[in-house]
Amino acid sequence: MKKVLMPLVMVALLALVPYLGVAFGKLDYLFGVVIPYAAVAILLLGILFRMVDWLRRPVPFRIPTTCGQEKSLDWVRQDKLESPSTPWQAALRVLSEVLLFRSLFRNTKAELHGGPKLAYGSDKWLWLGGLAFHWSLLVVVLRHSRFFFEEPPMPLQVLENMDRFLDVTVPALYLSGLVALAAATFLVLRRFRDEKVRIISLPADFFPLFLIIGIVIAGISMRYFDKVNVMPVKALTLGLAGFSLDAPSPIGSLFYVHLFLVCVLFVYFPFSKLMHMGGIFLSPTRNLPNNSREKRHVNPWNPDIKFRTYAEYEDEFREKMKKAGLPVEKQ
Amino acid sequence: MSKFLRTAVAFFIAIAVFAGTWLFMQSGHGTAAAAHAAVPAAAARVVPVDSTRCIAQTEWMRAHHMQLLNQWRHDSVREGNRTHVTRDGRMFDKSLNTCLGCHASNPMFCFMCHQYANVKPTCWNCHISPMESNK
Repeated sequence: MKKVLMPLVMVALLALVPYLGVAFGKLDYLFGVVIPYAAVAILLLGILFRMVDWLRRPVPFRIPTTCGQEKSLDWVRQDKLESPSTPWQAALRVLSEVLLFRSLFRNTKAELHGGPKLAYGSDKWLWLGGLAFHWSLLVVVLRHSRFFFEEPPMPLQVLENMDRFLDVTVPALYLSGLVALAAATFLVLRRFRDEKVRIISLPADFFPLFLIIGIVIAGISMRYFDKVNVMPVKALTLGLAGFSLDAPSPIGSLFYVHLFLVCVLFVYFPFSKLMHMGGIFLSPTRNLPNNSREKRHVNPWNPDIKFRTYAEYEDEFREKMKKAGLPVEKQ
Repeated sequence: MSKFLRTAVAFFIAIAVFAGTWLFMQSGHGTAAAAHAAVPAAAARVVPVDSTRCIAQTEWMRAHHMQLLNQWRHDSVREGNRTHVTRDGRMFDKSLNTCLGCHASNPMFCFMCHQYANVKPTCWNCHISPMESNK
């Protein structure tokens, strides 16, 4: 239980830092301007560093994991998505993985049924929960554009209107926030439910989940329950988007809890498993076309070995071989 | 883990989502419970009092005006209760016109904040906004 409580306590303490800092320390400038800029800088540079680091790793051979018929003779139908043979097909496969989590759709689980009977069954819950979580978070992030543009671009406005189409509650309920909270809760509960998953779960798995839940709860509270003044918030975010260094007008400390936890997430991002966001595009088992049979891939750092052919060998020893009665190819 | 438990967890999450939605829906209607108790249902319709003071504190109005207007609409249209009693006992007609009676003096009163914060209220779907009426 320590590995669950530790991240939980850490998130709670991190949420308390800006609350105390703003409510009692008058550190609005630190939490509203200095830390956000620093966090975004760490996020961008960190992601850049790690992506460049990964991009520099050589991948000399094609090592995709496939689960379909590879390209073969003309009359054998190739499974172009499961065993791509061109870069475009591979890109399509990566895209379907990123947008639809196709490999997770095939997730199975093994169960022991009363003794030695081992049964495998399909398990789509993780796929569904993960999909709901990631898509709703994407919508939530895009929706926040209304704080960073004076007038957000048309597609983002349409997205926002779709998100609030239910038109229940005042202010209008955003579905994405609710789905994000429910899905994140499910992802936490999933780690408790099964003893095998519980054992392999680490603090690094719980911390980002708790952090995101904390951010979402703070955001939802600000909108529906404990209102903060939106005008200085917009002034601050517009300022941040325009690289201004002006001090923010007083805003409720709940806003700073939200903002600080987001900053923590940004700083944590490049150093954690959250880098799967960039890493999925660079995984060699996913992004390489499976064309080992039609094209020879040579390891570029193979040592330059001097090979000796049989013809050269025979040239040197032909007379001796003849004397010993060994067959030679050339007389 | 048993199929039953899996179904139970899914069921619990579904219930939690619906309960959460319901609470959200209710939260918009919560503020007026006190006003209901204070005003007898048969209270006569009150004309808006010309007042130099708003019905509530500026800070409170800034945060909650949308919930108050929503509540007023619910009370007046669906329950026929058109009298709002403030905490200090003043009475107002539950109508958007009560607000606009003072605030329409600046036709941009609603819009300067809503436009800045990119918030689009549904008021002007039916009501004539002060920007249109003052033209």
